[in-house]
Amino acid sequence: MVKVDVDVKEEKKAHKSQSSLNILWREIVRDKLALVSLIFFVSITVVVFTVSAVLDLDQIVKVDLFSIHQAPNQEFWLGTDYGGRDVFGQLIIGTRNSLWIGFIVTFLTGIIGVTFGLVAGYFGGHVDNVMMRILDFFQILPFLMIVIVFVAIVPSYSTLAFSLIMTAFLWMGIARLVRSKALQERELDYAQASKTLGTPQWKIMFGQVLPNLSSLIIVTMTLNLAANIGLESGLSFLGFGFPESTPSLGTLLSYARNPQTLEYRWWIWLPAAILIFLLMLSVRNVGEALKRATDARQRRG
Amino acid sequence: MTFLEINDLKVHFPIRGGIFNRKIDSIRAVDGISFQIEAGQTYGIVGESGSGKTTTGRAIIGLNQITSGQIIFQGIDLADKKNKKIDFRKDIQMIFQDPYSSLNPKKRVLDIVAEPLRNYEKLTKKEEIYRVAELLEKVGLSEESIYKYPHQFSGGQRQRIGIARAIALKPKLIIADEPVSALDVSVQAQVLNFMRDIQEELNLTYLFISHDLGIVKHMSDRIGIMYKGRYVEEGSTDDIFTNPQHIYTKRLVAAIPDINPKNRAKQKTFREEVQKEYEQAYHDYFDEEGLAYDLRRQSETHLVALPERVN
Amino acid sequence: MWKFITRRLLITLPQIILLSVLVFIMAQMMPGDALTGLVDPNLDPATIAEQRERLGLNDPWHIQYVNWVGNALQGDLGQSFRFKIDVTDLIGQRLNNTIWLSLLTLIFTYIIAIPLGITSGRYNDTLRDQMITGYTYIGFATPLFIFALVLLWIFGFQLGWFPTGSSVAPGLTRGTFEYYVSRLHHLMLPALSMALITTVNTVQYLRNEIIDTKQKDFILTARAKGASESRVYNRHVFRNSLLPIAALFGFEITGLIGGTVFIETIYSYPGMGLLFMESITQRDYSVVTAVVLLFGIASILGALLSDIILSLVDPRIRIK
Repeated sequence: MVKVDVDVKEEKKAHKSQSSLNILWREIVRDKLALVSLIFFVSITVVVFTVSAVLDLDQIVKVDLFSIHQAPNQEFWLGTDYGGRDVFGQLIIGTRNSLWIGFIVTFLTGIIGVTFGLVAGYFGGHVDNVMMRILDFFQILPFLMIVIVFVAIVPSYSTLAFSLIMTAFLWMGIARLVRSKALQERELDYAQASKTLGTPQWKIMFGQVLPNLSSLIIVTMTLNLAANIGLESGLSFLGFGFPESTPSLGTLLSYARNPQTLEYRWWIWLPAAILIFLLMLSVRNVGEALKRATDARQRRG
Repeated sequence: MTFLEINDLKVHFPIRGGIFNRKIDSIRAVDGISFQIEAGQTYGIVGESGSGKTTTGRAIIGLNQITSGQIIFQGIDLADKKNKKIDFRKDIQMIFQDPYSSLNPKKRVLDIVAEPLRNYEKLTKKEEIYRVAELLEKVGLSEESIYKYPHQFSGGQRQRIGIARAIALKPKLIIADEPVSALDVSVQAQVLNFMRDIQEELNLTYLFISHDLGIVKHMSDRIGIMYKGRYVEEGSTDDIFTNPQHIYTKRLVAAIPDINPKNRAKQKTFREEVQKEYEQAYHDYFDEEGLAYDLRRQSETHLVALPERVN
Repeated sequence: MWKFITRRLLITLPQIILLSVLVFIMAQMMPGDALTGLVDPNLDPATIAEQRERLGLNDPWHIQYVNWVGNALQGDLGQSFRFKIDVTDLIGQRLNNTIWLSLLTLIFTYIIAIPLGITSGRYNDTLRDQMITGYTYIGFATPLFIFALVLLWIFGFQLGWFPTGSSVAPGLTRGTFEYYVSRLHHLMLPALSMALITTVNTVQYLRNEIIDTKQKDFILTARAKGASESRVYNRHVFRNSLLPIAALFGFEITGLIGGTVFIETIYSYPGMGLLFMESITQRDYSVVTAVVLLFGIASILGALLSDIILSLVDPRIRIK
């Protein structure tokens, strides 16, 4: 008879050190640039979400005709826009909204893309063929124009509707990556073994194959987050992102479409431009470090 | 009733081409083979790579689609679509060639070994851990292993984990697809002997697939030799090694190294004879396409693929 | 190879049909129809209804779709409600500008990408390479529209080196030397700002490609035969690394389409992208529909072109 007296928790801890999340984390801590980027990104996120919870949104978006186009001063740290609204307050709220939509779209595209790619790659053959033709079609659509048209013709669109429209045209990249990795994984003996053990297909897909794609998914989603923040601000810049009542970083930049503002009132758009750049750069830094971590040949430590 | 009976099994893979990707031809990986296995015995299949031996094993367990033929397991034809619903997984299990890729690197040993149990038996967490520890002990691993990940084990240990997983459901037939060819020679014997031990203990039947004649000789009661998807010779281990009839088998047997220096001269003449026969009589053993003929019975136990005019 | 190209062409047709259906549905969802803006609002409702019937606007959707496609194939994309001229003519005027912008952008992209990529790949992990990699790193993180905005602000407004809008200075006669110089002058900044961002893809791709090729056995063989270093690179490495770049060409077209919308809006450059933005803000939907359809077809053909070039370049695809 066997005695089973293993302390479950203790053992779990002892052997977890090699899990992929840990490797990723170690790599980030070792890479100073990525660590600084991560700290920067996290603190910006925390700051904008707490500050905007305190700030009075109505106060900020209220038009004040007595203080139009003021340069930065004591009362308005970053001046005011054409409606006399505080640019700094808009910057905080704009960052929050931009990050928020970035997270939502990244999350939704991640779920759709991973599921689509996993199913196509795991089953392969005809299923894969048909699914990839659908994906190809989505990928060659003039994404930007179609999103703009949708935003223009969907009556009374909300943040949610906007996220869904963006998601509908942005899931293909991650799906393609997951699919090609799943095609390789399904040929490995552990997936075949699961079949012989009587495990149902969907369980093999999500329970056995998916964990082996986790690092690829984390890396891709991080890089996607950076891209989505940029895309959203681009659409808002063109006037087809959030409504003006919900400013995003792109909304502030869109004021620069007026040559007067661009030429003489840099305080309205330049801070937003710099912030978008820094946010995207820091997220990408983290993503690139993660990518190196998953590629053992490039790992630094 | 025969334990496992394979009748005229064919597994063809389509070759697609043309503008519409239609099937234009097929690769005959397994092209009409038949054999029987008795319960509790070990049946060896030998062949070079590409001969279809692995495909045969995978077709029996259902990993490759069967083109035609019968797989009668304990009286039930598994290839028949009517029997698709019958779950035979519990009774047939497989040991894979590569101990590195056959264990999911993201799973703990507990999850790996318990996977079949979770599919077929409703166990509580505690019962499950108990069963897994029991299985690990049976294959000679300590119970502390259950929370480790596969990469923390050596190749031989990993293959033992694979065996523990395969015997978890107490199967009757185990298909062992080159179970030791990825292991160091020093570990091979260990694993093989261990497989024989559990065979006796659990009354298992093995279908043992290998390219290594020496190992097959050590393990098997009966042996089938495959070449290009067909059988060239089948017989008891004794038939094959002391009385090989087909030129292909003769060449294989002649190639086995013998460590005994006294036999060196004898071995050499035997090899030269075989080589001469191969050069002269090749066309007596293979048809125009280079494939083996149908098997014909030589004795009670011995079948050889020879054309009709010989004999 | 011909098999591959035929098969690829067979996929393209349903893609274009699907696109046209999508665009048609979009057009149907847009408020108003072909009559809106054309008819005099003072006409009595009965006459309008009669007109609608005559134009087939009351037909079931699939008949309307067939009519729409039929008209589009004959070059009739409806009328612009804003300019009161045929959409086809309107697009004809603007397309010219966008083509020149795209062409110059492509030229800049390759002029920048090829030397940078080659230097970076050949001398990888040296100071030069690190500087180039640093540039691509920042280029990847910079949204095109922010970069264009900053360039316009610095070089257009602050320094005044380049014009800040339109495609040509007013008052110049077509065909004169000054006219062409002015057009080029107007094109420089938009094309450069787009090229500097889009080129980072190609630079990095080329770098990786060269580094990969450098380690291949046939390069070792060339060295072992005693070929000089410059011969190794010019005859063996570059030839093998530059070919895949050619295949990216078609995909650049898809990228350019998104880019022109931003660039033309920022630089008020009267091309298709600006036409699209103007039309959508002013609800000139027949123009919007036409532009989306045209750009959609352009990207489908771009992808087709890429795949065909790739099949010519890469023998592995040829066999398939």
